[in-house]
Order: sequence, then C-alpha cells, then structure tokens
Amino acid sequence: MFGKRIDFAGALGFIAFMAALPLIFGGNYLIGVLTVSVIYGIWAVSWDFMSGLTGRENFGHSLFIGVGAYTAGFLNTTFGFSGWWSLPAAMVMAMVFALVIGVPTLRLKGPYFALAMLSGAVIMQRLMLIFWEQTGGEEGINGIEPLIRSQLGFYYFALAALVLVTALLLALARSHWGLILRAVRGDEATCQAAGINVTFYKIASLMISAAFAGAGGAIYAHYQLQVSPQLFAIVTSITIITMVYVGGMASIYGPVGGAILLVLLTELLRNFGEWRLMIYSCTLILILFFLPNGLIAPTWRRMKSMLAGRE
Amino acid sequence: MSALLEVSGLNKHFGGLHAVRNVSFSIAPGEIVGILGPNGAGKTTLYNLLTGFIPPDSGSIVFKGRSLRGLAPYRIAGLGISRTFQLCRPFVGMTVFENVVVGGLGAHGSDRVDLDARALALLKQVGLLSKEQLQVEALSYGDQRRLEIARALAAKPALLLLDEPFAGLGSGEITDLSALIRSVHAEQGLTVMLIEHKLHEFMRLVGRVIALDFGEIIAEGAPEDIVRHPAVIEAYIGRGDEQAEEQTGAA
Repeated sequence: MFGKRIDFAGALGFIAFMAALPLIFGGNYLIGVLTVSVIYGIWAVSWDFMSGLTGRENFGHSLFIGVGAYTAGFLNTTFGFSGWWSLPAAMVMAMVFALVIGVPTLRLKGPYFALAMLSGAVIMQRLMLIFWEQTGGEEGINGIEPLIRSQLGFYYFALAALVLVTALLLALARSHWGLILRAVRGDEATCQAAGINVTFYKIASLMISAAFAGAGGAIYAHYQLQVSPQLFAIVTSITIITMVYVGGMASIYGPVGGAILLVLLTELLRNFGEWRLMIYSCTLILILFFLPNGLIAPTWRRMKSMLAGRE
Repeated sequence: MSALLEVSGLNKHFGGLHAVRNVSFSIAPGEIVGILGPNGAGKTTLYNLLTGFIPPDSGSIVFKGRSLRGLAPYRIAGLGISRTFQLCRPFVGMTVFENVVVGGLGAHGSDRVDLDARALALLKQVGLLSKEQLQVEALSYGDQRRLEIARALAAKPALLLLDEPFAGLGSGEITDLSALIRSVHAEQGLTVMLIEHKLHEFMRLVGRVIALDFGEIIAEGAPEDIVRHPAVIEAYIGRGDEQAEEQTGAA
C-alpha cells in the first residue's frame, strides 16, 4: 500500500517536472527536444509492453510508427480529414499490420517474429520509395496540419498522451494479463499446460503495442508536419530498444525515463561535435555494463525501498 | 461411459522409431495409476499425446466422453487435464505465488481474490507458504517439484498427470511428496496418473500399474503382480541395465 503511494507520488513528481521544464527554461528549441523525447517515450513504453514482458523481441517497431505516421499523413492531406482523426486511424492501421505479421510468426518458436518485424519495416521503407507517385518518395508527405498551433500546447498534449499510455499499459501489465505475459516469457509450454492460449496473448499484446506505437507515429507526423520513409528506419527501432534497456526492461515506466534521458543526452552532446557519437556510445556501454537491469527502474525501486524502510 | 479417460489404438512414430505402439487403456475416476517403464519406453511421449503437445499418428483419446483429437494443449488443459514436466519448468522471473496464480488463470478466468486465496491455500498444502514471495529460481529442486504440483492443481483438474515427480529427490523428500500426492487424491477425489521408473514408490502409492516397453503395453495390473510379471522383469533386468537393476532391487 505504502509502495503504491510512493509510486503515485513519483509519477506526479515526474509529470510536474516535465510540465515545468519549458516554463522555467523557455525557448522553442527546448520545447521541441522535449516533445520528441516524450514521443520516443510513447514508443519505448509500447515496445516494452509486448517485448519486455513476453521476451519476444521486436526489431521493427518502426514499422508501426511509420504506418501510424503515414496514415495520419494520407488522411490529413490526400483525404482532407481533420487531424484529430489521425490518432484512431493510425492505431487501427498499426493493429492491422500487427495482426498480419503476428498471426503467422508468433505461433512459431524461434526467431521468425523478430526477423519478420525487421524485414517488415525494411520492406515498408522500400515500398514508400517504389510507389513514390502516391507516397511522395524520398520527400514523403508534406503540408500536414498541426493539431495544436501553440508549440507549448502541443508539447503538453504529447506529454498527456505519454502519461495516458503509460498509465494504461502499467495497469494492464500489473493485471492478470501482465502476469500471463510474464509467464509466457518464463515458459511457453507450462503456459499451455496451464490452459493459457499463448498465441492469442502474444498476438493481442503485439496489437496493443502496435496501436500505441502507431498513435505515437501520428503525433510525430503532426509535430514534424511531414512524414518520410526515414520513419521506418531500423535505427529508430534499435534506438527504442536501447531506451528500454537503459530504462529497465519489463518495468513499463522505466523506458519513459530511458527515452527522455537518451534524447536529452543526444542533444546535450551536440556541442561536442564529432566526439558526440563516441561519448554517447561509451555512456551507453558503461550503463549497460554496470547496470545490466537498466538505470531508471532499478534506481526507482532502490529509492522506494529506502523510503519504505524509513517509515 | 464410466471411464474418465479412454485411450485406444494410440500410435506415434518419430521417423523410424515407433515411440508409442498401439496403446489402449482406460482410467476410472478416482484411480491412481502408475505408468512404469525403462528410459525410452515411451512414457513421456504418451503424456505429450494425452495433453496435445504432439499429435498422434492414429488412435483415439476420449476424456469425459469427449474426443481430444486435434485440440491444442491449452484447450485440453481447460477441459481438466493438468500435467507436470519431467524437468521442472516453472515460470522463471516470477515469484512462487505468481507461478501458482498463473496456473489457475487459464482454466478459470478473472476473479482475482478467489485465485489469490486459492494459490495461498495450495502453497500451504504443498508446504511452500513461507516461500511464496521468493523468486522461483531460488527454490531447491524438491521445492520446485512441489511448486509444479501446486501450479497444476491451481487449474482444478479432474486428471493430474505427473511426469517422474520423484526424479532427483532424496528419500525423505520422496516420502513427503508421496504423502502430498496421497492427500490430494484423498481430499479432492482427484484422478492421478504418474510416470515413474522406481518400482519402490509405485508399490505404496498406486492402485494399478501400466507397464510400457518400446512403446508397447507389456503388462497391466496391481503393483504387487507387476513386479513379478516376467515381461517387466525382463524389461528391467534382462537388459543388464545397471540402473534398472538397482531400482528393481530396491523393490
């Protein structure tokens, strides 16, 4: 009970901190960086829900991100729908893609799922170039309308979306659903013997994960006001996985911190010019070498037990 | 039909190996039946066929009057057949308590309070209540066996299949575990099948033995008759298998 109250206080503190940052320091540059970090947070949390809990690693999360972003782009420009339709439409489209890839590959053991996700993202990136007359090719789709005109207002919208997604997935992860997903990670055969339809849970979880990644993609499209094939890039998926590892796999809230930390770190290191990648990589290696369970979630757990011990 | 489980003409090949050969038997409600046989006799394959983990080449399996043919393992489990595995396969990365809760989730849905209370009751019954918050990896082998049984019972099965529950346990642990199986059987009227190749345990625990060798049923009957059955003696001793000799000797 006390632990839950500390969690709640921690979450409130985090939200207040993130909301106050642009008010204290100001500047559109910072707001932009924070908006991107919050969107990466949505992607990292949604990755962690499926792959962190079940252990079936998804190497093509950018597939869902790109599908969501292009759905937003097409709806808003080609078909002239209001930007607010982007979010539900992006979620639905991403879920369809999850179903198409998940049904044949998640029934099987072995690396099929990871490979199918990886190649799915690569294929979509190529298709965006091949069908350049419809998709705009390398240029992508431009002229997407902003959802909210004020940059600060949009940042708060994205932050609210992150909080909502994290709260939802955290609740789901701590319910029986999450228990089953962790059991799938533990031993699939024993799950079967316990009467659990493992394939159903894996596919449904991938669809949930995809829906929120797609929503994040749509939010990103309305932030950049354009989409390009680069959204499907493998490096995006790998960055997200790194964020989850730094945050603490399977904790759901940890990846939020991991995403914000790494986006801010990338920006802070811009002053170092060509040393940037070197410092970034070394920092990552050090974190993962000394803290194999990640940085954010284990630190929070330690703080919590210290606070609880003092009571 | 009075039989809980009716198996007839069951066959399974793995390439050139005829792992289960024309096996037929039936189990009445409330029985404790032992499946006996040397290593490689087809005991675990038989379990895998019964629980749907591998499909049979031919033959029928009828449970509570319903054919299990073509059903996925989770569906068969949902109908009331729970099993344990020869090598313990707990849900790693979870606590002892969570392992048992998951055991009950598949079969009966959602009432969290009921599942939690039931999990605690089962852990008490198998003697693991004091360890409920431990990570499952921290349990000793004997405790993992107990946990497997608690996890299997959480699904409230009508038939419990135990695969070598005594393997790797010391004699004290074996006595305790036998007592546990006996009490579960007595209190809940549970039907139990257990695979074992230690004759000694069968004598005290089971009412009937089905002996397998090379995938075939070679004898069936009361345990005291089975140990004297010439085909069983040949299967164990005639082969000069040192381990088998030792075990038959213990009986």
